Amino acid sequence: MKRRDFLLTTLGAGLVLGARSAFADFIGSPYFAGAEAQGDLPPVAERLPRNPAVARMLEQGKLGGELRMLMANPKDTRVLVAYSYARLVCYDTEYKLQPDICASFDVQEGRIFTFKLREGHKWSDGKPFTSEAFRYFWEDVANNEELMPTGIPTTLKVDGQAPTVEFPDDLTVRYSWDKPNPDFLPAIAGASPLYIFRPGHYLKKYHKKYRDEAELKTEVEESGQPSWAALHNRKDNQYRNDNPKLPTLDPWTLRNKPPAERFIFTRNPYYYRVDEKGQQLPYFDQVVFDIRDSKLIPAKAAAGETDLQARYLRFDSYTILKEAEERDHKYVVRLWDDARGSNFAIYPNLTTTNETWRKLFRDVRCRRALSLAIDRNEINQAIYFGLGVPGANTVLQQSPLYKPEYTTAWSEQDLDKANALLDEMGLTQRSDDGLRLLPNGEKMVIVIDTAGESTEETDILQLVRDSWRKIGVDLFSKPSEREVFRNRVFSGESIMSVFFGIDNGVPNADLSPWEFCPSTQQQLQWAKWGQFIETSGEAGEKIDLPEAQHLFDLLQSWRAATDGGVRAGIWDEVLNIWSDQVFSIGTVANVPQPVVVGQHLHNVPEKAIWAFDPGAHFGVYKPDTFWTDSDRPLSPIPE
Amino acid sequence: MFRYLVQRLLVMIPTLILISIAIFVIIQAPPGDFLETYLAELQSQGEAVDPAKIEFLRRTYGLDQPIHVQYLKWVGGLLQGDLGYSFEHSMPVNEVVGDRLALTVVVSLASILFVWVISFPIAIYSAVRQYSVGDYLFTFLGYIGLATPSFLLALILLYLAQVYFGVSIGGLMDPQFEGQPWSWDKMQSILAHLWIPVLVIGLPGTAGMIRRLRANLLDELNKQYVTTGRAKGLPTGRLLVKYPLRISLNPFIADIGSLLPELISGSVIVSVVMSLPLTGPMLLSALKSQDMYLAGSFLMFMAFLTVIGVFISDILLALLDPRIRLGGGVAK
Repeated sequence: MKRRDFLLTTLGAGLVLGARSAFADFIGSPYFAGAEAQGDLPPVAERLPRNPAVARMLEQGKLGGELRMLMANPKDTRVLVAYSYARLVCYDTEYKLQPDICASFDVQEGRIFTFKLREGHKWSDGKPFTSEAFRYFWEDVANNEELMPTGIPTTLKVDGQAPTVEFPDDLTVRYSWDKPNPDFLPAIAGASPLYIFRPGHYLKKYHKKYRDEAELKTEVEESGQPSWAALHNRKDNQYRNDNPKLPTLDPWTLRNKPPAERFIFTRNPYYYRVDEKGQQLPYFDQVVFDIRDSKLIPAKAAAGETDLQARYLRFDSYTILKEAEERDHKYVVRLWDDARGSNFAIYPNLTTTNETWRKLFRDVRCRRALSLAIDRNEINQAIYFGLGVPGANTVLQQSPLYKPEYTTAWSEQDLDKANALLDEMGLTQRSDDGLRLLPNGEKMVIVIDTAGESTEETDILQLVRDSWRKIGVDLFSKPSEREVFRNRVFSGESIMSVFFGIDNGVPNADLSPWEFCPSTQQQLQWAKWGQFIETSGEAGEKIDLPEAQHLFDLLQSWRAATDGGVRAGIWDEVLNIWSDQVFSIGTVANVPQPVVVGQHLHNVPEKAIWAFDPGAHFGVYKPDTFWTDSDRPLSPIPE
Repeated sequence: MFRYLVQRLLVMIPTLILISIAIFVIIQAPPGDFLETYLAELQSQGEAVDPAKIEFLRRTYGLDQPIHVQYLKWVGGLLQGDLGYSFEHSMPVNEVVGDRLALTVVVSLASILFVWVISFPIAIYSAVRQYSVGDYLFTFLGYIGLATPSFLLALILLYLAQVYFGVSIGGLMDPQFEGQPWSWDKMQSILAHLWIPVLVIGLPGTAGMIRRLRANLLDELNKQYVTTGRAKGLPTGRLLVKYPLRISLNPFIADIGSLLPELISGSVIVSVVMSLPLTGPMLLSALKSQDMYLAGSFLMFMAFLTVIGVFISDILLALLDPRIRLGGGVAK
């Protein structure tokens, strides 16, 4: 066992073991007082696990109240699963893994994972949560050909090999592989997680193995689903959270059936966390999602119709939010740091089918020159009021792996150097209007594909164009639809594209550096190489650029390494190559994410990082600890 | 007459078949299918999806079959009253449409009534008092009504309603009434929200209707029979209502053809701008995400109502206006 892992588990276990004795009495929400008095619910002490998780927070709160949020899509019920962030293991705010639903976990050699569950932990319907839930997932779902025709989830395979899964007793679950599986715990702790347990006691009634075939068949026909497997999958969607009857471990459970204009989630009577006073979390009795068009959400937020909102708010609505804040004092707008490596980045397509451009882009001098020519300060001032950080598309200052030179590498405007680089490449011929000529005699005009979703991209490109003209390069943007856009990049038709920068700009050494290495088709600078890797060589092209191959090899050695120091060393090397080779051209990072927080809300951090995975947006800040001192009555539950 | 009716009914069948083919082909025309949209949407939120799973879903929903097979399956279902399956909501289309249809009919009916109630008296007044101050005033207002883009008006009214009346932005009722049983308070909340969409949706229609009715009525009023009637001392009211008004009603009746589909589709742009829980935004999002059965079945339903509506208004016109003759050979 590695020391780091050992420390983690013992720390986690110590916290919870000491828990029970520390409380004289557990306190439940008055919300259930009626049900308890009627005998419909057992008292709170019996509803909690024997060793509940204890939440640490800024200020201990008060139970009750309602949290309203605005969403744009009836499918956004899943957002609460991300925000709730109840995971078997979860990340803390430092992005370190901690036990959460499980009482403790233990990792040996990076390949044997043992989870210890909490004794007496129950699903939201009061049925026990034991290793049976894991067995049901593994034996009856993951390994059922009809439910998972493509086999077990890819993160559960190492080099195509499935794990050995054991359930030594009611509270212990063990997954083991022959080789390390570094993707396993991050997948479990993800914002959209890999669930390795299922409420089998509920789902069995839709499973062929446990039901009379004829009965199940009529039920399938009535539901309009094509097969029993489709019906089972429809009922079993812990992440999508669209089945009010599905038992859950989350702090709030969905109460009305989608689609609807308003969703209400009420507290889970069997939730496993308490605060330091012994009050059962979550503090809020109820969460309300009102579904409105995404374009109306900034206006509605400004009118004070939400208690906590960041989704569907972008930096460009900051001014109207701020104005209403000062006028009505209903909320405060906080600015959190966006975790993207760059708000928008430009991706030269190294696997384009256009011979001329492919040759140019594969020459690092060309990529460097294009990056050097951009005036990022101007973009920052003109579009983000100077609040962002201009620089390359790489890790951010908040990451422990950060070095200042990553941000500045080839990203401080230097027109002379850029011109010199292009001259050195032999692109010295100019046309009458001052544009450089390509080897084939055409003017050096780059057409950049955009997904056509926001004016922000086109505004940035306009500014980029102004500075590229100074090194004799012209630029046109070609907006299209997102799918068309992706397909054009995948097929190599597009020579250059603009899209969001890397997703997770705040990684630590234990998170995979896949975003910086050829690994999937979704990477716009080398889509075909990624496709080759994803399909194990069936489609796409083999990597034929030494630096990219080096990055790919480094990713493989990171996956094999289990030691933190070795991993950090690999990360350093990856980031060095990435910055030096300018595989993507960053613009401005750390663009603030406005977060509207109701005046009456407590425990929402002043300053934090807004990231989806890892981070689950509000998830790592644990919204079950947010509380209100407003006494606004609860909204009635829709039918 | 009977032969005409049968003929009209029979012509509807090939019309509907052609419409169904057009709808299906157009929905399928953009590259990709629903699952690709779904994939892109998940990725835009930073979520990853196993490509193998997408492939599996594609097979389950039959999206990997050739287009004509998909088409026949869809039409076959439609004939049996099965509108198909919505991928986006993963439930049958009938359930998705559900409540929205009722609310859409309420809003549309209200705006049609609004158009009629307002435009009728104004048009008559304008025609009878041509070139009076009132006529000029209404003409001016009418042109403004025609010229203002409805989405702009919607935004302005939303803002004013929020600032001056405290009505929550968007939607058809205050959020706390969503999904609640009907009550007096809920009705009031709906009425408080309803006037904006009704006004916005109805305004261009009102303006157009006033112009048309006024022009028709003026044509009639200048005819000799009216002059004769007036010379013989017929009371003004009777003289107006008995013939000229009846004849100038033709545009009203011709409108019935397009009324039926309007009743269920609502006004798409306005409902999207105002985030109304009507069928319009649902149709738009279904088209955007290529949720083909939801979009296709809904469009087909509208096409069906259009065809029926035109049929009804044709018959009504033939009955009400003796000058209208049934097509050449048939009438003789």
